[in-house]
Amino acid sequence: MTRSLRPQHRLRRLHLLTAGLAVAALSLTACSVGGGTDSSSSATAAGASSAAPSGTVPGSSYIVATTEPGDLTPGKQITAYDQDMAMFTSLTDVATDGTVTMAAAESVESPDATNWTIKLKPGWTFHNGEPVTAQSYVDAWNATAYGPNAWPNSGQLAEIVGYSDLNPTSGEPTTKEMSGLKVVDDTTFTVQLSAPDGQFPLQLSQAVTGFFPMPKAAFTDLDAYNKQPIGNGPYMITGPHAENQDIVLKAYDKYAGTPAKTETITFKIYADTTTAYTDAQAGNIDIVGVGPAKIASAATDFGDRLYVNDAPGIAFLGLPTWDSRYSDVRVRQAISMAIDRDAVNQAIYAGRYTPATSFTPPTEPGTPEGVCGEACTYNPDKAKELLAAAGGWTGDMEITYPGGFGLDDLYKAYANQIRKNLGIENVTTKATTDFAEFAQLRGDAKLNGPYFSRWGALYPSQQNTLKAFFVPGGGGGCTNCSALQPQEVQDLIAKADGQVDQAKAIDYYQQAQKALAEQLPIVPMFYEKYMFVTSEKVTALPSSQGSPIWSQVTVA
Amino acid sequence: MTVAPPELPPAGVPTPAGGSAPARRRSIVSGRLLAHIARRLLELVIVLLGVTFLIYAMVFALRGDPIASLAGDRPLPANVIATLRARYHLDDPLWQQYLHYLGGLLQGDLGTDFTGRPVSEKMASRWPITIVLALTAWGIQLVIGCVLGLIAGLRHGRTVDRAILFGTIVISSIPIFVMAIAAQFFLGLKWGWLPIAGTTAGWPVAFILPAACLAVFELAAVSRLMRGGVVDSLQSDYVRTLRAKGLSSRRIVGIHVLRNAGIPVVTYAAINLGFLLGGAIIVEGIFNMPGIGGLMFTAIRNHEGPTVVSVATTLILIFLLLGALVDVINSLLDPRIRRD
Repeated sequence: MTRSLRPQHRLRRLHLLTAGLAVAALSLTACSVGGGTDSSSSATAAGASSAAPSGTVPGSSYIVATTEPGDLTPGKQITAYDQDMAMFTSLTDVATDGTVTMAAAESVESPDATNWTIKLKPGWTFHNGEPVTAQSYVDAWNATAYGPNAWPNSGQLAEIVGYSDLNPTSGEPTTKEMSGLKVVDDTTFTVQLSAPDGQFPLQLSQAVTGFFPMPKAAFTDLDAYNKQPIGNGPYMITGPHAENQDIVLKAYDKYAGTPAKTETITFKIYADTTTAYTDAQAGNIDIVGVGPAKIASAATDFGDRLYVNDAPGIAFLGLPTWDSRYSDVRVRQAISMAIDRDAVNQAIYAGRYTPATSFTPPTEPGTPEGVCGEACTYNPDKAKELLAAAGGWTGDMEITYPGGFGLDDLYKAYANQIRKNLGIENVTTKATTDFAEFAQLRGDAKLNGPYFSRWGALYPSQQNTLKAFFVPGGGGGCTNCSALQPQEVQDLIAKADGQVDQAKAIDYYQQAQKALAEQLPIVPMFYEKYMFVTSEKVTALPSSQGSPIWSQVTVA
Repeated sequence: MTVAPPELPPAGVPTPAGGSAPARRRSIVSGRLLAHIARRLLELVIVLLGVTFLIYAMVFALRGDPIASLAGDRPLPANVIATLRARYHLDDPLWQQYLHYLGGLLQGDLGTDFTGRPVSEKMASRWPITIVLALTAWGIQLVIGCVLGLIAGLRHGRTVDRAILFGTIVISSIPIFVMAIAAQFFLGLKWGWLPIAGTTAGWPVAFILPAACLAVFELAAVSRLMRGGVVDSLQSDYVRTLRAKGLSSRRIVGIHVLRNAGIPVVTYAAINLGFLLGGAIIVEGIFNMPGIGGLMFTAIRNHEGPTVVSVATTLILIFLLLGALVDVINSLLDPRIRRD
C-alpha cells in the first residue's frame, strides 16, 4: 500500500467536476465581495480632489467602529447619531457642563417661551454648495413632522403649532406644512409652540436630529438622500452608503463653523462590539465604544486610552405600582435601600458608574444630587424595618428586562441584593426574548415585578428625563417609564417648562424631584457613563454629553 | 478490525466501476427521469408553500410589537407607529399578511424590512459572503477530512489511526465560539498572522480563520466516514480479486477504494454544506462577516416576517438542490443507484 495518490483518469474527471463547481462559485462570489469594498475606496479617491479646509491636518484620518446606521436622513435615523452629528451642525450646542452656545444659529430668543425667533449665522452652505437658509430648516422640519412619512424622529417636533394637522388621528393630513413655522427672511424664521417651553433652545442641540436642516436637493430624491445625505456640518459623506460597507467622511472645505481637525473619518460597521474592541486592541480601529462585556477589562487593555465620559443617561429599577404590593411607599423605599449600589457598581461596571441620588443625571443643569437622600442609601436594617412596617412581603418577585443586551449580570445582581438584604426568598430574573416583547409587556402592565428602566437624554435638560418617565406621552410613548406618574410632579414639570428664565425653570424641576423623592415611584440606580477606547494614534478625544465631538478629535 | 462509520447509506458490496460507463450515462436522461423531475418539482412547490406559511406563522406568533421597539428604549410617537403598522399590514390577520407576502413573491417582490429597505437588496449583499465562507469551510473540511480519513483507513488499527481519531474528536468537541475567540486572539491579535475581523482583506485571507473554525467542527465526522469506507472497501472481496489479478496498491486505492468510500462522504458533505450556509451566525458575528446568519438573527429579533421567510425559503431551496445534487453524484459514483 502507498500513501501517495496519483489521480487516475476516471477519478480525476469526477473530482474536476465537483472541484470546478466549487471554484467557479468561489471566484464569482469573491468578485462581488471585493466589488463591495472597492466602491468605498474609489469614493475616497473622488472626494480627495478637494483641498482640505484650513485648520485641518492634511492627510490625517481615523477609523471609528459603529453598528450599521441604517437610515441617514436626520429626521429618520435611529442609530446614525455618530454619522449625522459629523455631517450636520445643530442650531445650538450644549457642553457636558450644560453651557448652551450658538452653533449654526446666531440667536434663539423668545419673550414668552411660546413664540421663538431663530436667526441663522450668515454664509453657511450645504455640502453641495446650496446656501443654508431659514427655508432649509422649515422644509426639513415639515418633512420630519409629516405623518405619512412616518419618520421616527417626528415626535421631537410635536410641540410646534400645526404638528397635529400633519398627524390627524384619522385620515390623511390636508396640509404638508406646520402653521407654527414662518420664514421671515433668508436667515430668520419664527416658531410658535402649542405650549410655553423655555427648554426649546436645548432641544435644538447636537443630538436632536429632528431639528437638522435639509437642502432643496434632498427633496428631489429622498431615498438617494437617505443613503448620501447632504449636510451643513464639518464633514461630508463621500458616496452613497450601502449596508455594512464603510462610511467615509471627508472634511468639508467650505464649512463655516469651527473647522474639523482631522481630514478623513472612516466609520467601519461591526455587528459585535466585542469584535470591534479586539480590532482596536490590534490597532485596526482608532475609536470604539466599550460594550458591557468589556467595561471591566478596558482599563487594563488600554490604560490611559480609556475615556470615561459623563453622560446624560440614568438607570432606574422600574416598579410595577399596578400591583398592590408595591403601592405602599415604604415597600418601594425598602427595595431601594436593600440594594448596595457600590457593590453592584464594582461587580458590574468595575466601579466606573456613579450610584444615583437623584432622578436626572448630573450633566443636566441644576440636577439636585442627593435629593433622594436616605431612600437611595444602602441600609439593609432600615430596609427590613420598613418592609415589616408595611406589612411584610407575600409571594415571589420576578424582575424582568429585555434579553440580548448584556443586562443579565446587572439584573441578577439586583435580585441577589434584594433576596439577601430584604429576606424575600424567591426573587428571580427573567429576560424577555427581545425588546419588542418587553415593550409590549410593559405597555400592557403585564410585568410581574420590578423591571428594566433607563433613559439616555437627547438634550441635557431635566425636562427631557423627567418627562420621559413621569409625564404620560411625554417622551412619545412608554416603553420603560414609571408606572406611577404623580399629578403633583406633572404640574411642577409643566410649570418649569413654561419659564423663560432658566434659573426659575430649574427651581421647579428641583421641586418636582423633591416630590419624587418622597414618593419614590421608581428607584434611581446609576448615573451612566459612555466609555470609549482609542488606538495610540488618537491624541485627543474631546466629548460633549458623553459622545465624542468627531470634528475635534486629533490624531498623531 | 473494522469500525463501522456512524451513518452508512445502504451500500452492500459495490462492484468496481465497469468500462461501459458512457452507455449507462445516456440512461440518466430518460423519460422516466423527466417524470421524476417533474414530480419532484411539484413536491417542491407544495413543500415551499407549506414551509413559508409555517415560518410566517411562527414570526407572526412572536410576542411583542416590532414597530414600538424599532427605536429601542426611545419610544416612537403613536401616529408614527400607527402609520408604520398600516404600511406593513401588521394589523391584518395572519392569512391576509401571508397572502400579501405571497402575492408580492409571485411578482418577484420579497417585501421590505421595517425601514423600507428591500429584502432582496439585503440578501444580495449578504449571500455572497455567506456562500464564500461556507464553501471555504466546506473545502477545508472535505480536503483535510478525506486525507485524514484515508490515512487512518489505510493505517487502521495503528497509532496514526488512533491519533487521528483522538485529535479530530478533541477539536470537534470545543465549542465553536471558544474556538473562534481563541483563534481570533492568537492568530489575529497576538501573532497578527491573519485579520481579526471583516471582509476587507478579501478571499482567501479574510476567510481563512472563520472558515477553519467552521470546518473543524465536522472534521471528525468526515474523516471517520472516509476511514470507515476505506476500511470496508479494503476488506471487500473485489479488492481481494483485484489484488489477485495483480493490480498495484496505488491503482486499487486510487480508483476503486476511494470511489466506493466516497459515497457516504458525499452524502454527508452535501447536507453539511446546507448547514454551513444556514448556521454560521456565531462565527459570522465574531469575525464581523455580514452574512446571511446575522441577517436572519436580526430579522427574527425585529419580527420581520418577510425577511425571515425569504431567507428561510432560500435555505430550503438550497437543501433541496443539494439533495438532488447528491443523488446525481452518488449515481455517478455507484452505477447501481442509477439502475434503481
